[in-house]
Amino acid sequence: MHPDVTAITSALRAAGVTSVEVEQTSLGVIVRPQVPELAAVLSALRDGSSVFTFMVDLFGMDTGDAVELTYHLRSLSRDEEIYVRVSVAYDGAFTSVWEAYPAALMPEREIAEMFGLTLQGHPNPKRLLTTDGLDPMLLKRIEIRGAEEVRAR
Amino acid sequence: MTEDSRLTVDAPDAPLAEGSYVPAALPVGLRRVPSGVDEVSTEHLVVNFGPQHPSTHGVLRMIIEADGEEVVGAEMSIGYLHRGIEKLAEHRRYNALGTLMDRGDYVSGIHGELAVALATEALIEVEVPEKAHWIRSLMSEVNRIASHLVWYGTFGLDAGGMGQFLYAVRDREMLLDILEAVSGSRMMFNYIRPGGVLADLPQGTDRKLLEFLDLFDIHIEEHDQLLGGNEIFQSRVHGVGVIDKETAIAFGLTGANLRASGVGFDVRRDRPYAAYDKLEFSVPMAAEGDCWARYAVRMEEMRQSARMVRQCLEGMPEGDFTAKVPKVLRPPAGEAYAAVESPRGEWGVHVVSDGTESPYRLRYRPPALFALQVVEAIMPGSLIADAIVMAGSVDLVLGEIDR
Amino acid sequence: MALDKLTGENSVLFVRSEQLFDLARSNSLWYLAFGIACCAIEGLMHASGPRYDFDRMGVFFRASPRQADVMIVAGTVNRKMADSVKRLYDQMPEPKWVVAMGACASTGGPFREYPNVIMGVDKIIPVDVYIPGCPPRPESVHFAFIELQNKIRKAAEERVASRRNRDN
Repeated sequence: MHPDVTAITSALRAAGVTSVEVEQTSLGVIVRPQVPELAAVLSALRDGSSVFTFMVDLFGMDTGDAVELTYHLRSLSRDEEIYVRVSVAYDGAFTSVWEAYPAALMPEREIAEMFGLTLQGHPNPKRLLTTDGLDPMLLKRIEIRGAEEVRAR
Repeated sequence: MTEDSRLTVDAPDAPLAEGSYVPAALPVGLRRVPSGVDEVSTEHLVVNFGPQHPSTHGVLRMIIEADGEEVVGAEMSIGYLHRGIEKLAEHRRYNALGTLMDRGDYVSGIHGELAVALATEALIEVEVPEKAHWIRSLMSEVNRIASHLVWYGTFGLDAGGMGQFLYAVRDREMLLDILEAVSGSRMMFNYIRPGGVLADLPQGTDRKLLEFLDLFDIHIEEHDQLLGGNEIFQSRVHGVGVIDKETAIAFGLTGANLRASGVGFDVRRDRPYAAYDKLEFSVPMAAEGDCWARYAVRMEEMRQSARMVRQCLEGMPEGDFTAKVPKVLRPPAGEAYAAVESPRGEWGVHVVSDGTESPYRLRYRPPALFALQVVEAIMPGSLIADAIVMAGSVDLVLGEIDR
Repeated sequence: MALDKLTGENSVLFVRSEQLFDLARSNSLWYLAFGIACCAIEGLMHASGPRYDFDRMGVFFRASPRQADVMIVAGTVNRKMADSVKRLYDQMPEPKWVVAMGACASTGGPFREYPNVIMGVDKIIPVDVYIPGCPPRPESVHFAFIELQNKIRKAAEERVASRRNRDN
């Protein structure tokens, strides 16, 4: 279920990725590259011997300092799962990975919209779920309606 | 053919004969050919489906660029049901997350509640009693039959048949009676909680379920014959909407859609949860990846679900139906991912906890969103009628896609 | 004919056109097939299904708003959907009625705290009958339609009465 940490690290080093941390947590194996090396890491994981060709999920989370994107990948042939995490600054930009994983097409639009980030390299970077004028809702600083506002409907 | 010089086409600019009718000036884009028939120029038409449409399975808006009847480009516009389940989950207690998940994929509420309960249990590390596992599997399979019946009814409606819809709803009503007797509600069950289930199965549930299953064994064959044995339906779905293996994997497709394209991944078998590792069932698969394959896989899944329900009833152990879990859960900081096999695919819940009574972040992986992406990608090149059949075959529920 | 036994042969029936039309309207309320969310499964699909049969009340769904009398708003209306709901309501010809089904259409429901959700569809279109519940049972939707029928007949009576008072 969980791949071998040393095997992943050596595969990434062999692919030329320099600054990356690979750790085993209770969730699974998490790879933390820097944003510029994300594409290289994903290519190494997908095309390498581990064959992580299946993207299970792609989501973002507001950690308080930055927006953390998580790519949850799975290798169907070896039955292994791995998480790749990058940190993007608030109001920053991130590049689409849709050519490597077409499953990321709509989730990336949603992340850009819900976290106020800019999406680059995407064939259709429009808003996905909301109309213009709504705040990036999943950021922690955006509040939902309070009790008074609801009662005064 | 007469000897009329106006009927030859190899001299289009030949002047008309003396005294013949001279037509008025033509609008731009029309070119008159000597036979007297105007030649029209064509343009692509942008057709808008929805959000109010009889067969968009909710409020889906498809913007289709069509060249005559053939789809040249397609775009899915969603968000008409975006209600902020993930944001509101950060303000609810863990016990109440099931109520939000119920309303995501509203056709299969048990699976959503089970996914979030499993994720919460992974955070608090509680020992769920054996009976609760078996009740969870039983209810999941009952809900799977109910959800597949909705799919069966509406898929037939997409292809133009109306009779099968009423038969499907008839069977679903019997199942909803049982679900109501067990959980108290026909649709938003709020039955599966972290630690176990809300209450034990009431007396007589097994008798009612067995009565239903005896009828269902006959009915499922009738349903299959009614829709699948219909020549018109067969010609509408064979070879339509082919999703090949590489496309399915690249787009993150899961569930019956993935298995109909030849990839055998079933969360119940490969990442077993509840009591599935003790049940005997086969996972139907097909190789073609067209709408017929998805139809056949789901019909067979209904039969396997019926088989599993019988096994659950026979093998139900004695014991508690829930572990002792505090009403207000404060899991230690950490994160967990749990997935269940919902009728639409792999419904995953990723919970991040910071030690308080509400999750810090709840991510809900909607299987139908990935199916929608595939449909958007393969739609160009088909006919408009096939586009609707394709969208219906992958079993979309917009509550899940929009969250 | 059997009816002649009741009225006598060659008899003529007088009825106020108002009452006749409203009798006809209330007994064949065709609703727009417009299911937004979960309530659509319960209130539109099951209420029209074989057990809770809506057709016996003359209620049937129409795909086009131009052919519908009632719009059952079944589900949460959010900002993106509001434009479509208003446009569909405007496209329905008079006389038309709106039934707000479920907690979401009445007041915003369990999602009312989310800023994208409109707290009740009566903020965009006038509503005639509200149905509480999440989701309401199909019988509740039937009861709502019976209430709507009573409302239509009462409105007819009131119109006739006000005209009588005005003419006097």
